[in-house]
Amino acid sequence: MDDLLQEFLAETTESLAVLDVELVRFEREPADATILGNIFRLMHTIKGTCGFLGLPRLGSVAHAGENILGKFRDGELPVTPQAVSLILKAIDHIRALLAELAAQGCEPPGDDTAVIAEIDGLAAGTAAPEPALPAEDSFPVAAELLAEVARAIEVPSQAAPAEPARAAARAEAPAKTPETKDAPASSIRVNVDVIENLMTLISELVLTRNQLLQMQRSQKDNEFKVPLQRLSHITSDLQDGVTRLRMQPIGNAWNKLPRIVRDLAVETGKKIELVMQGAETELDRQILEMIKDPLTHMVRNSADHGIENPAQRLAAGKPEGGTITLDAYHESGHIFIRIADDGRGLDVNRIRAKAIANGLATETALAAMGEQQILQFIFRPGFSTAEKVTSVSGRGVGMDVVRTNIERIGGTIELSSSAGHGTTVLIKIPLTLAIVSALIVETARQRFAIPQLNIIELVGVSDRSDARIETINTSPVLRLRDRLLPLVSLRGLLGLEPGPGQDRFVVVAQVGANRFGIIVDRVFDAEEIVVKPVAPLLRGTRFYAGNTILGDGSVIMILDPNDLSGAAGQIDTDQAAGAALAASSQVEAQSSFLLFRAGDRELKAIPLELVSRIESLDAASIEHVGGRQVVQYRQHLMPLVPFHDGHAWKANGQQDVLVFSDKDRRMGLAVDEVVDIVRDRMAVELSSSRPGLLGSAVIAGKAADIVDVGHFLGLAFTDWFELSSRRAGIRRALVVDDSAFFRSLVVPLLAAADWQVTTAADGAEALRLREDGQRFDVIISDIEMPNLDGLALASAIRGDARWGGTPLIALSSRDDERDREAGREAGFDDYLAKTDQAGLPDTLARAIRAALAARQANDNLRRAS
Amino acid sequence: MIGRPLCLVVDDSRVIRRIAADILRGFGFQVGEAEHGRAAVEFCRRAVPAFVLLDWNMPEMDGITCLRALRSMKLEPRPVVVMCTTENGLTKIREALESGADEYIMKPYDRDVLLAKLEQLGLTEPA
Repeated sequence: MDDLLQEFLAETTESLAVLDVELVRFEREPADATILGNIFRLMHTIKGTCGFLGLPRLGSVAHAGENILGKFRDGELPVTPQAVSLILKAIDHIRALLAELAAQGCEPPGDDTAVIAEIDGLAAGTAAPEPALPAEDSFPVAAELLAEVARAIEVPSQAAPAEPARAAARAEAPAKTPETKDAPASSIRVNVDVIENLMTLISELVLTRNQLLQMQRSQKDNEFKVPLQRLSHITSDLQDGVTRLRMQPIGNAWNKLPRIVRDLAVETGKKIELVMQGAETELDRQILEMIKDPLTHMVRNSADHGIENPAQRLAAGKPEGGTITLDAYHESGHIFIRIADDGRGLDVNRIRAKAIANGLATETALAAMGEQQILQFIFRPGFSTAEKVTSVSGRGVGMDVVRTNIERIGGTIELSSSAGHGTTVLIKIPLTLAIVSALIVETARQRFAIPQLNIIELVGVSDRSDARIETINTSPVLRLRDRLLPLVSLRGLLGLEPGPGQDRFVVVAQVGANRFGIIVDRVFDAEEIVVKPVAPLLRGTRFYAGNTILGDGSVIMILDPNDLSGAAGQIDTDQAAGAALAASSQVEAQSSFLLFRAGDRELKAIPLELVSRIESLDAASIEHVGGRQVVQYRQHLMPLVPFHDGHAWKANGQQDVLVFSDKDRRMGLAVDEVVDIVRDRMAVELSSSRPGLLGSAVIAGKAADIVDVGHFLGLAFTDWFELSSRRAGIRRALVVDDSAFFRSLVVPLLAAADWQVTTAADGAEALRLREDGQRFDVIISDIEMPNLDGLALASAIRGDARWGGTPLIALSSRDDERDREAGREAGFDDYLAKTDQAGLPDTLARAIRAALAARQANDNLRRAS
Repeated sequence: MIGRPLCLVVDDSRVIRRIAADILRGFGFQVGEAEHGRAAVEFCRRAVPAFVLLDWNMPEMDGITCLRALRSMKLEPRPVVVMCTTENGLTKIREALESGADEYIMKPYDRDVLLAKLEQLGLTEPA
């Protein structure tokens, strides 16, 4: 095909995509002259270009569109949804013509008068204000006539010059000179294949470079060393450069969405606003292609099932129009995409019923699950929440396909939903797929690659050193800086030949919020590896993300940390229930729990992160002083607290103790028996009124009481949560967090320090308290929450005199420097990390003290001046 | 031969820029391209074209604004500017001429039309 025509097709297709987006914006802000100007210009350009190329059909449709847009611009025609629909229809018509043009290389014969008449009819409709009222069948005729008249009056710019223009284009073809352009072009268009080829070549170059480096390493210094280093650097730069070539803004994948949402809204009679943030975030073209469909599907879902119709929304006390928010951002080598709506949320009961009906789970199993856990069933194959499949989202693709697609590119997808408040989906995907940095390890004389992105640190372990691998009920764990880390053994997991206990290294890895260790024999270098997909033959196996060729030419498997993380701490638990839960909850944030028994036969559970050590003490070493128990522990006296009051202290034998520590202070919780360590989600059914228990939950298929660590900390150290300014009288704290578990963890801590605590589940709820006239001495807030997040809450608090002076402390699971910065900017006095749960009581106390002191100082200053 | 004269095609459509550029190269010009008025002004800061073919309706900076900007730059030697227009209203044409355009040309144009314009402006010797 003529490459000028090719160019025209590309340009016009781009313009149409922009038009779609702009028109939807325009419909919402019809008064915005800039948007309309832009739309008009794009249509005008399409028309103008058609004239040059001699494309009368396209030209005339575009002309009709331009005509009506001109009337909008001059205020001759009101902007109605019908009118916009008509223009969108014209755009679709143009698109269809383009498709034919692309297929046949020339404009096919045909008739566009119907579309043009419809458009012109609307355009002319302004002259006669009630065109729809006459008898129905007479209307199209009148419109057509009007259109014809309109065309006849107008200078027919489309048809007449077409022939000479075509001739011109043809005549000019041989006159082309292969001159290099003097034009200072800021960008050029390159065929995708060229870039893909380049990428493959770079991959091979990286391999060869690695091979050379490896050879060099085994040699003494020679004259190749310096140039080789240079080659190495250039290769890295080249690789970066080419990777960047493939980057495209994610907005390219979003272009179609406003139109889709708009059409859906019109079709279903809803009011939906689509907010898109971070459209300029760049990611690999290949990934962009792969997430396009899942994204579209999820936005459709939100619009079709999530957002209620205006009447339902008003009845629920929400604004009439719903909002779908798309948000993309870079973070630690990944792209995060958030799709959130403020609709009705997922219907847990319906999902539950469906899961039972489809035989995905038994009623008993479901009864034991938390709501968020049940929601995850929508990711299971063959599950669709819509009772009747609508034309909109019922396309045979379910969320399971979405999840599979995301996971195929090494991404994860998390879903959370709250009834009546909406649904949020968070997708995390790597920036690029082609080349990753990986650590090469060896187990049982086989080498494996572990992606560096997931690796936190390496720990050398031996039986003699402090860092040694222990087993708690057959699950291996590592004590690392006063934390217990669940481990997986590659040997066991992959069924490799059992070695003579030669495990010498633990690779500490992190997936999402989960930290775990991988036991390996040896660790080699980190290498840039080219990821080749797993061969179809091996696709059924777990734990592998692909394979690669090393510098020495050997082929090794790349381990998939996602899969490994699921296996950590979960081996040897109740297999049946464990497997079912693992499957349904893998995508959710999991935690490791320590299960133990104390007092009765009920299992007790405590988040493993809170426990620094598990000790088995000699009962004889426990001293009983004034009704309290202490033990010599690491050259200090450590207070021991029995789990229940009637605890029978043994005179001899062993006493199992869970050690909690914070800086230089430690306490031990005496329990009867440590049972197991398991991985599962935190899903607490809050029901317990017993002191020391937060409630019960099902963990790895077993019912267990969740222990309130704060309660026991308070028993051991009355000053654990001591605050300096006691004289202030009754002090009131507000805790804002959407996690019931976390609220329950913080509240007793504060209460133990004589704070009167009020809780709110999100920022909006907190602000309602402000409207109620409530006052607090300190506000502690989570960052990520539905409805109104912590940052928005902070801005709202700082922007109003009522709470403006209240110390505000952020407590978030996200705590890199950028998050802290954003927190401070929004108005938080301090920013604390939730992840450090053991240290939390102390940090929190200190932060409150500091914030109060700072405020006091300000008050004094104000009074003095 | 003292080098081929430089001309600048300003249009937001790649396709039209290419058509115009191909025609102009055929006449022996060196051709620069700009996708909107601002880019055209930038271009002229670095190299003064003998001839500018300037579209009207463009993003960022439209043709008439660009024209006024070019004229206020007092470029030496003064480039000949031809405004392209599909809007052949008299007011538009007058506005263009008053703002310093030397000629205007109706879109779509072809090789012959453009050549005639250039000859009329004395930019090419008749073939």
